Order: sequence, then C-alpha cells, then structure tokens
Amino acid sequence: MGSTGLSRVHAVAANTFRETIREKVLYNLVFFAVLMTLSGLLLKPLSIRQDEKIIKDIGLASIELFGTLIALFMGVSLVSKEIERHSLHPLLAKPVSRGEFLLGKFAGLAFTLFVNVAVMTLGLYATLWATRRGAGLEMLQAVLAIYLGLLLVVAVALLFSTVTSSALALVLSVCAVVVGHFADVIRNMREVAPAVPTWATQVLYFALPNLRNFDLKTRVVYGDPVRASDLGWIALYAAAYVGVVLGLAFAAFRSKDLQ
Amino acid sequence: MRWPRLAWLLFAPLVPLAQTRIDGSLGAFRAQEEVLYLWSGDQVRRLFPGLEGVMADVYWLRTVQYFGGQRVFATEKRFDLLEPLIDITVTLDPRFEIAYRYGASFLAEPWPIGAGKPEAAVALLERGVANMPQSWLLQQHLGFYTYFFLRDPSRAADALLAARKLPGAPPWLETMAADFLAKAGDRETSRKMWARLYEQQEEGPLKRNALNQLQRLDALDQADVLERGASEFRRRWGRWPESLRELGQAGLLPFAPVDPTGVPYQYDPRDGKVEIAAASPLWRHPGPLGSGLR
Amino acid sequence: MASRTDPPLEIVGITKAYPVGFLARQRRLALDSLSLSLAAGELLGYLGPNGSGKTTTLKILTGLIFPDSGSVTVLGEPLASRGWRYRVGYLPERPYLYDYLTPNEYLDYAGRLFGMGAETRRARAKELLRQVGLEDSADVVMRRFSKGMVQRVGLAQALLNDPELVLLDEPMSGLDPLGRRLVRNIILDLKARGRTVLFSTHILSDAETLCDRVAVLRSGKLLAVGRLDQILDVGVSALEVLVSVPGATFPQLPAGVRVHPAMSERVRLDVPEGALAPVVAAVEGAGGKILSVLPTRQSLEDYFVQEMGPPAEGAWAPRD
Repeated sequence: MGSTGLSRVHAVAANTFRETIREKVLYNLVFFAVLMTLSGLLLKPLSIRQDEKIIKDIGLASIELFGTLIALFMGVSLVSKEIERHSLHPLLAKPVSRGEFLLGKFAGLAFTLFVNVAVMTLGLYATLWATRRGAGLEMLQAVLAIYLGLLLVVAVALLFSTVTSSALALVLSVCAVVVGHFADVIRNMREVAPAVPTWATQVLYFALPNLRNFDLKTRVVYGDPVRASDLGWIALYAAAYVGVVLGLAFAAFRSKDLQ
Repeated sequence: MRWPRLAWLLFAPLVPLAQTRIDGSLGAFRAQEEVLYLWSGDQVRRLFPGLEGVMADVYWLRTVQYFGGQRVFATEKRFDLLEPLIDITVTLDPRFEIAYRYGASFLAEPWPIGAGKPEAAVALLERGVANMPQSWLLQQHLGFYTYFFLRDPSRAADALLAARKLPGAPPWLETMAADFLAKAGDRETSRKMWARLYEQQEEGPLKRNALNQLQRLDALDQADVLERGASEFRRRWGRWPESLRELGQAGLLPFAPVDPTGVPYQYDPRDGKVEIAAASPLWRHPGPLGSGLR
Repeated sequence: MASRTDPPLEIVGITKAYPVGFLARQRRLALDSLSLSLAAGELLGYLGPNGSGKTTTLKILTGLIFPDSGSVTVLGEPLASRGWRYRVGYLPERPYLYDYLTPNEYLDYAGRLFGMGAETRRARAKELLRQVGLEDSADVVMRRFSKGMVQRVGLAQALLNDPELVLLDEPMSGLDPLGRRLVRNIILDLKARGRTVLFSTHILSDAETLCDRVAVLRSGKLLAVGRLDQILDVGVSALEVLVSVPGATFPQLPAGVRVHPAMSERVRLDVPEGALAPVVAAVEGAGGKILSVLPTRQSLEDYFVQEMGPPAEGAWAPRD
C-alpha cells in the first residue's frame, strides 16, 4: 500500500469539493440565476443600449460579489473550523502531511469557485441571449480576471484560518478584501501624508492583496481592449501572490499544536 | 520541508514585478473607470449611507493623486475626470474645505497644470462658500480666483469685503480689495495676491503652485526687460537681433536669459518677442481667458 | 532501518509543557520526561485520571502536537517519517468525522489517503462496518448518527489499513453496553491476530479484563508500568463471605469482621485471613447459611484511589 503526494492532495481536494456541495453553498447560484433573469426581464423596456450594459454590469458585479462571499466563508471554514472541531485529528494521523492537506483544501475550493463562476457566467450569457442582446467572448476576460482575484481571497482566508479562530479569521479576511479594493489609495498615501516614508508605502502596497488588478469589468463593458499580455501579468501576479500566501500558511500550520 | 522558503524566494519577487507591470499597462490610477460609472455625487452618496465621510476622503485622495500630489507638473492627468471627482467629494462631504481650495486650483489653472476651467473653479468656490458660510478663507479664495482667473475685479473686491466681515478675517483683505479695484490688471497686485496665497497655504501642491505663479510673474518681468533690450538693439542697428546671445554680445543683456527655474527664454527674431519657453514649468497655455495677466 | 524485531512503539523522555497564567509566564508540565515501550503483540492499557496526559501522549504520537524534548520511534521509524503511518491506526477521543459524509464515503476518503485501490477500499469498508455493526447505516449521512455510532465509525477508520499498531483514545466512550462488548471483542481479536494495541481509558474494569500490561499516568508522570499482578497486591488479603442470616439474632462475630447488609436477609462480611473458621461457626450456630466465599484482591480501583488520592498540585484539573 502506498499513495503519492498528488493522489493525497487530490483526495483532500475532492472531499473539499464534496463538502461545499453538501453544505449547500452552491444554492447561491439559484439566487443569482433568479436575479439575472429578473433584471433581464425588467430592463427590457428601457432604452436600447442601456439594458445590455446594465445586465452586464449587474452580472459581472454579482459574479464578483457572490464569488467573494463564497471564497470568504468557505475559505475561513476550511481550516479554522476543522481545527476547532478536531475533524483533522483522525486524518492527520494518516500518511497525509499538513502541507498536502492545505494544498488539497485550496485546490478543492479553487475548483468550487470555478464551478460557481462558470455557472454564473453561463447564466449571464443566457440572460443576454434571451433578451436578444448578444454578447461576445470578451466578457470572459473580465470573468477570468474575477476568478483569479477570488483565488487570492481564498488564499488569504486560508492563511488567516491557520493562525486564528474562525471568527477572527473571517473578520481579518473581510478587512483584507476591503483594503484590497482600495489598494490605489495605499499606494498613493504619500500624497496626503508626506511624512510616511516611500519605502513603507511601497512595502505595504505590495504586501496587501491588490484586488483592483482583477477589475476589468468597466473596460470590458465599454468594449475597451484588454491585451493578452495584460491578462498574462494579472495571472502572474495572482499566481505569485497565492504562492507567497500559501507558503506563509504552510509555515504557520506545520508547527502548530492542534489541541 | 523547505517549501515555505522556496515559495518565498520564488514567488515573493514576482509580486512586485507583476504589480508594476500591471500598473504600467493598465494604469495605476484606475479609479477613473469608477467615475465613468458614477457620474454624479448624489448617486455616490446614495450608495454609501453612513460612510460619506470616509468615501469623501477616498475620492479626495484619488483627485489629489491625479491632479496634484507630488507631481504637480506631471502630464498624465485626466482633466475630464476632475470635475466629477471633485463633485462627488464635496457632495459626500460638503464641508470638506480643502477639497474646495485645491479643487479650485486644479480646475482654474490652465493646461498643463490644471483643467483650464476657471468658471468651474469659481462655481466650486461659490458652492463652498454656500456650504461653509463662516469660512473667510473660502470667500477670500473666491475673490482671488474671480480676480485673477475671471478678470472681474469688482466682483472680486466684493468677495474680499464679504470675507472681511467673517470671524477671524485678517485686515489686509480690505487693502487687497482696494488694490483690485484701483490697479486691476497690474502685475504688482497679482504678485501681492499670490504672495498671500503662498504664505497661507500648507506645504503641498497649492504652496508650490503659488510659488510657481510668483516666479512666473518674475519671469514675465524679465521677459519685458529682454524685449526692451531687443527694441534698443533694433533702434541702434535697424533690425531685431538674431538671438538673445547676439543681444548679449551687443552688451544689452543685463542678466543670463534664463527664467527663475533655469529654462532659457524663447526669443522670436521676427518680432523681438520674448516668451517663457514651453518646456518651462512656468509655461501656461494661453487659452480663451489667457493665462492670467501678461 | 526498521526491522521486525523493533518494538512497535518506543517513547523516550518525552516532555511537553504549556504556558499558563495571565502573561503565560508559568509552565505546566503536561508530560514530564515520559518513557514507555511497547512489546510486539501486547495489549497495553494506558490509565490515568482526566488531565494526567493520556491524550497528550497520543496526540504527540500521531503528530498532532509537538513535544518539547524526547524522541519517539514507531515501528522502528522516527516520529517524523511518513512510512509508519501506513501501518498504524488511531482513534481519537470523541472523534469528529465529517457529518456531511456517510460512513462509506468517509472510509473511502481515508482509504485514498492510504493509497488503497478502489476495490480494496470498498471491501475493507464493508468488512469493517460489518464488524462494528453499522452495515445497515453504511450509506446514511453521519449527521443523523448518535455519538455511539460515530464512535464506531471512528474505530472502523482506525482499522481500515489493518494496522500493526493500534492507538485508541477512550474507545469505549459514548457506547452502550452492546457497543462496548463489540469493541471489546474487536480489541481481543486484534490481540489474537498478533497486533499491538495501546488504549487509554479511565474505565478501570476494561483495563483489568483486557490488558496484559498497564501504564498508570498521574500528572504527566508514569506512576507504574507492568503486569497487573505486578502492580497490584495479589496476595489474598481478605475473604468476602456472603451469608444468609434469618431472624433477629445476629451471630456473634469475631473482631475485625466488617458487616455490609446485602439484600433482604443476606449479609456480606469482610473476613480477615485466618478468621474464616470462627465466622462460619458463628453463622451456622445462629441458624444461618454460608452462601459463598470469595477471596478479595486489591482491585485496580483500590490501587487508583490509594495512589491518586487527593488531587495533585492545585485543585484544578487541567485539560488532558
């Protein structure tokens, strides 16, 4: 008998996905679908160009909002609830390492988010087609960017939940998300507080998750082009940031006593 | 087991690298797109009940980032967004005093410093005066801007006198009002006005701008001297000098022909006119109302 | 290199301290230089009152918490190595298994972590659930289960990989008498198949009936380790005589005999050694009957009470 690291990570990931389904997290999709359909129907009588824009706006914003909520709530319960409820205990005695466990959790949640986002995107396209306002594939660029941003949120939530209780982890994660959306303010803090040294604002700016990087919504809705290289850099940022955060989470988790 | 260290070494430097690239290509100040969405202050206010103060700060920060801040003379500004941003800021927080002052400056100054919309600036100050009737400083600014940018000395003087009546107002407001009325268009009066503003302003874009305006007035004086020199040259030799250097060779150059920021003046040998060079920080686009007084 | 002749478990000088007090200045020793060794195929009872460090020990063994000093060797391999985990099973105290899964799904998940093939997982799950008496609820989501049922699934997951060494933390907790008998039989079966079992409990009767050796823990220190008959005083100290005495006249009993009323006319007498003959004579003389005579040995409970006595340092009992 012997298992490989990858198979163990896969087992944890698969179970995590199963958990999100069984915990009825995906019911929000139903709500979203309803929201989309209603907005599509209600806005039809409006002026010709506006309803398409509004549907796209609401659609993309909803994907981002619901995705963020899922990422936050599930991300926090990933580890902190497991620690609090001691459900980790029988599992960690088995050949799976803490790092594999963490990675599996992240992968499982990334997949959950992917499914969520995919279904919501399909719903958005369906609404647009149903209301005779077609939509091209450019919207997928914004959706991809949103998804990458959600991975950051999950990683941050996971990090906080390895170091603190589920309640505090949730609060901290929400704060990180809010601050992340105002990253430009951090970067340019010196404009209004010149006493702050430049290196300090720089460090803070790079250390905090810059969620504005993933906001291509307006661009796409107005039809401004998004270069492939832009998406590439955004993806690289996401991968790098997630890597750093998961590394921190692993460092915090591996020597933690699980009472 | 060396995972975390490896992750750090590999991933950590990629974060600032990717971020800088993204900022470079998509723009570091992407708040502009939000403003395209939200086109009025009232709409924004309705979105953030209870958080107006904080949101006013945020929008103000964004305004400053674009139009002032450490880079007063930067060229990548979006003037079309200036008015909506300021409008949102003061709608969210009608007593945001510096927003009126700085906003007026950003709006009134001609390109490339500001948006070149002096009427909008004055309208903003009027709004500020209406929302903060006890502020003599805003009244004073209203007066100054009406004088300098709208070239309406009598309205300006009225504003200054109204300011004088408010608590805490300094006495020199009366003298200044008198100067406005008596010596309208005089460079000396403008100089006094900008000197006051320079004294009053805290460190930052407005102080620097006031200094800039003072230097500009000096530069204009110097340009006049150089033009007189050129005229003298013409009187003696029947033609305009080819260049300022030639003027210097003829002994008619009393000082080095550079403006107070060190940028050489521009000389047109066809008509003997000396102007501030376009590359100088003191340069202003002429525009419909001109760049203040000549 | 691990070999077959290595002891399945060897604990040497394990110490674990926790900071306590307001600014975490003082340290409480949960385990104080604990050393213990298991022989292959033995059934060791790990005993001690709540807070003595039993669960701490097991959590250190399974890598859930980290000792301050000392070393542990499991099946010949160091604690940090992964290999021994394929051959060890662990049942935590009051196990929380995912309540959104069914027992089959949980065991399938655990089986994947061991790298068991799909067929093997299915077969083992079926077999184990049958052994713990849950074959009818194998596909019921565990949210619906009673504590005892979850406990039994816990035992099933501990034995999934047919481990050589089994670590059980309070395996009988939450079980009704039927469940306890089930677990007892499973443990005996493990022993019969040559597996090594360490189980911690504070139910002494279980230890008495099942274990080869016991280790007694108090306040993080090993009080005694050894065969029961080594720890307990096996000499017959007294006799327990059950008599039936009708009527009002109570026989005149020799000194040193304690009388405990039993049921109706029955009386239980604690008779010191050597005093048996006069007691029998007295009872029969009064018209009573001798019902039974049993030697009393010191029980583990007596030993416990005698050794544990008043609580150790401080009146509070810290968490185990």
